Amino acid sequence: MMHWEWFDRRPTVVRWVLAGPVALLVAFVVMAAMPLWFPEGAAGIDHLILPLILFPAIWAAVFFYACLAENLRRASVILVGVLLANAAAAGWAVWSGV
Amino acid sequence: MIALSQKRTKRLVAIHGWSGTVLGLLLYVVLLTGAVAVFALQIGSWSASGVKSQDPLAQPIDGTLRALAAQVPAEYHDDISVFSNSAGHIVAFLHTHTKDADGEVADKGVLFELHPETHEILVQREGFAEDVFGADHWGALDDFLVALHVNLHLPDPWGLYATGVLGLLMLASAISGILIHRHLIKDLFVAPRFSSLLLNARDRHNLAGSWGLPFAVVLAFTGAFLSFALSLGLPTVSTVAFGGDQAAMIERLVGAPEAADPTPAPLANIDAMLATSAEATGSAPTGFSVHHWGRADATVLVFHRPAEGDLTVAQQVFEGASGAHLGTKPPLGTEPSVGSAVFQLMIPLHFGTFAGMLSRTVWFALGLAMCYVTLTGLQLWLQRRSDEPLWRRLARTVPIFGYGLPIAIAGSGMGFFLSLPAGSTLFWTPVGFLIAAALAIAAGLAVRNDRTLSQLYRLMLGVSLIALPLLRMAMGGAGWEALAASDNTAIVIFDLVLLLAGAGCAVAAVSRRLPGIKTERVAGRVPAE
Repeated sequence: MMHWEWFDRRPTVVRWVLAGPVALLVAFVVMAAMPLWFPEGAAGIDHLILPLILFPAIWAAVFFYACLAENLRRASVILVGVLLANAAAAGWAVWSGV
Repeated sequence: MIALSQKRTKRLVAIHGWSGTVLGLLLYVVLLTGAVAVFALQIGSWSASGVKSQDPLAQPIDGTLRALAAQVPAEYHDDISVFSNSAGHIVAFLHTHTKDADGEVADKGVLFELHPETHEILVQREGFAEDVFGADHWGALDDFLVALHVNLHLPDPWGLYATGVLGLLMLASAISGILIHRHLIKDLFVAPRFSSLLLNARDRHNLAGSWGLPFAVVLAFTGAFLSFALSLGLPTVSTVAFGGDQAAMIERLVGAPEAADPTPAPLANIDAMLATSAEATGSAPTGFSVHHWGRADATVLVFHRPAEGDLTVAQQVFEGASGAHLGTKPPLGTEPSVGSAVFQLMIPLHFGTFAGMLSRTVWFALGLAMCYVTLTGLQLWLQRRSDEPLWRRLARTVPIFGYGLPIAIAGSGMGFFLSLPAGSTLFWTPVGFLIAAALAIAAGLAVRNDRTLSQLYRLMLGVSLIALPLLRMAMGGAGWEALAASDNTAIVIFDLVLLLAGAGCAVAAVSRRLPGIKTERVAGRVPAE
């Protein structure tokens, strides 16, 4: 059972955490996991170079979502979900040597 | 205008202010040095008082390169890079890829610096690339300024992380600036009000910021990419996709052939390949590289300046053993792709190198405008909090940084020229920067009156800028007549720009403020954006 009261009482702290360390972590793990699902392209390099190029854009999207979201519960669930899903995919790839 | 609720607008205003304030002064350092770094190549040529040859690879080089290859261990035949440096000398780096003391993959080999016409060996150094290139005393000034912009002279990877975070903060500031602008089009043509200094400063901040917003987004995005790509992105993606083998990932990215053939085979004539490449592109080569010299799988890449209407460097690829022309190669991969096309845009968009001196000048001017926006934004933020002692003390640092940095940059140039005859520019260029910075800080601490301090700073900057071309010539650099005769008129123009800018600063130091502006300190808070 999730104790949302803690979130609801500290909206500023939650927003700072989401827009600060969580936004950076989400951008990092999304970049890390992108080579696993992004199309390779004609030269077989798109899935390697585009994650690097898109990193600032991913961070900006997550940062402004965290800053502007009215429903902090939903934003927290979405961002932590994206973080865990991508971290799991990247971790699995490293562990299994895919 | 983008419709946002009052709460969201308030949050965005806070993001816009705080993102510019928290690291505003460091952002100013990166922005100003970045504006200067746009002319890094020209600064390199200027500090060397012009290049010895406008086309250093014009003389046949095949025989020279074979003689150099015979002098070095066979392992350094793995990769050979040939290009010209700031002084117009030919640089040939014969090297291999190995691990350094920290276990990182690095280039190690022998560097030769050759006279562009006689091919006489001027300098010969052996070691890791960082050391042999770092010892180039001709490039001390432009290398120092570029490194200040790229990593603030902090050790790797922390310097790149720092500038990457600054890029992200600038991106946040620019995007929030776009979102909170209620009258973006109107603000593009706003006439600064003269009713008070504070309103005048705010109007000027909005005016410069409005024109610079798209540029700020481009600069911040490409800058964050360039900082994080090598320091964070490459190790991360190579860990996931190649089990941490960065060399394998780089090989895939640059499009090296997968099937190795170490069978000995002599390299075809390099001069013939350079001539074919020049004919195919319609321009003289600016450099070339030989991969696997003396092997059957050798390849030669010839580099040219971007073709007319193109943004990026053109590369022609040749089969080394036969000399057969294989065609144009994209910078990444072996055939055109979306990733390579987008990647090609990053450096031209960041440094404004896509349309010669015109785009560089526009980028330089927009970079200075961004410096102005950063400093005035910081001043406005601090003035709104001038009732609090801590913010009031911090406000004092703005003019010290604002004037101190260009004075220190000029100081690095003076240190370079004064030490050029002794060949100790690598030491005195950063020391000149530090001495000038210390003088500027000392002046900021000693002079309490803002107006007097501002006048003193302008005078210091003006004198420093005027001193640079005079020192260049006094320390043995070529005069204007000789430069014009050797097709180095760009150096003369550089000298003139510095003299004019210096004179402008000196005149501004003794002139009064714009008439009509009320100069009394405005009590209370600045109206919201």
